[in-house]
Amino acid sequence: MRLQLASVLVALCVVTPGRAGADGTLSARGVYYKERATRVMQPMLDGMFDVGSRGVATAHFLVDAITSASASSGAENAEPFTENRYEGGFGYTHELGSVITEHIEGLRVGGEAKYSKESDYTSVYVGARTEVDLAEKNTTLGLGVGLSRDEISAASAQGPSMPTLECSPGQSFTACSLTVKALFASGSQILSKNAVLGVTYDVSKSDGYQSNPYRMALAEDGIAPERHPTTRTRTAVAGSLRYYIPRSQTTLIGSYRFYRDNWRVFAHTPEVRIYQQVGRVADATVRYRYYVQDRAFFYRDRYTTIDRGTNPFLSDDAKLDDYSTHTFEAKLGILGEAFGAGGHWSGARFEGILSYVAQGNRFGNAIIAHVALTVPFDY
Amino acid sequence: MVAVSVRFLTWVVVASLCTGCVVVKAHERGNLAKRSMTNDRASGEARFNQHERGSREGADGGTGQPGGGCGCN
Repeated sequence: MRLQLASVLVALCVVTPGRAGADGTLSARGVYYKERATRVMQPMLDGMFDVGSRGVATAHFLVDAITSASASSGAENAEPFTENRYEGGFGYTHELGSVITEHIEGLRVGGEAKYSKESDYTSVYVGARTEVDLAEKNTTLGLGVGLSRDEISAASAQGPSMPTLECSPGQSFTACSLTVKALFASGSQILSKNAVLGVTYDVSKSDGYQSNPYRMALAEDGIAPERHPTTRTRTAVAGSLRYYIPRSQTTLIGSYRFYRDNWRVFAHTPEVRIYQQVGRVADATVRYRYYVQDRAFFYRDRYTTIDRGTNPFLSDDAKLDDYSTHTFEAKLGILGEAFGAGGHWSGARFEGILSYVAQGNRFGNAIIAHVALTVPFDY
Repeated sequence: MVAVSVRFLTWVVVASLCTGCVVVKAHERGNLAKRSMTNDRASGEARFNQHERGSREGADGGTGQPGGGCGCN
């Protein structure tokens, strides 16, 4: 992990560039997550580059170092173990034209792909999107599609042999697949010189293995591996409003998201943020988020029996129970100029985030900390 | 809950339609171009938040970014 962190910092220092005709940013971020049975350290590197006068390319790479004593991660007898997940991705967006017709003043198309690999889970995702500007760029509408294909096994099981998974009723193999197709739409509307409204709508359909390969459901007559339904259709609609107060340089951001799926999980997520500019070189944000969800139709704390005829589905997944969370967060951003840095480093941005999540389930409360440095450059 | 969401959606659609006639000219958008009014979250921050919620919340499917591994589904 130290080597990975050092590599990220070296890469950031190497790209401190001289003169040229295009811009970009390189960002290094480290995240620490801690809850009762799990600890995660995630260093990541993000890049954004101009490509010609109409293209923007992005790329990222990260490592998830997960140390867990949770049975859902494959730990046996609560013995903690560490596993790494590696993820890389890239994207490209191209501006097709600034004025297409009298009514369409901008049109962008883009695509992205990402790959994630760990010992028991491999995921490939590809997506495409388009955005159009209307009404003198007061309105922006977007539409996108995504497709992911995952392969899941129980390779992290700490037993003498790798167990098989029930990919679908009556069919067991050493690895199962999961395919997710998604459609997402978005719109933003300028309401005034100081207010913007945003709306998003997402729908996705998952087909394949959606249980945890290690978790066991508890019943009065024994225990059995989880048996989740193999199809799930999710929809979510969200709205946000940003309002800027010029006199105090304060921005108020409110959002709300409603989610439902055919496992009968309903969730509400209201959130408020207050963003305060501090002089020219710093900003501070505080955030509160509330999340509440219902229980999936097949979830029980304890089943009467593991018999498939009585209970076709079994689960021990705490995130399918009804519960709520409260998130409190403080964030500080400072430009390099505040420390007297010159050249490109004057525009570098240092960021620190501290979050506390009060979770009303067996995961327990969590602490999350981010430290990030973003450096602009020319090439 | 469904009734609440339908009311919210209706409100959002009506609000959007009502504001369709408001046109803020390019030279009046100085405040709208500020970081806090466009996207105050870096891509790395947003990606981690999404992944963390996907591991800990049942309602992780509305972001249009399925997959991503982690084995804690």
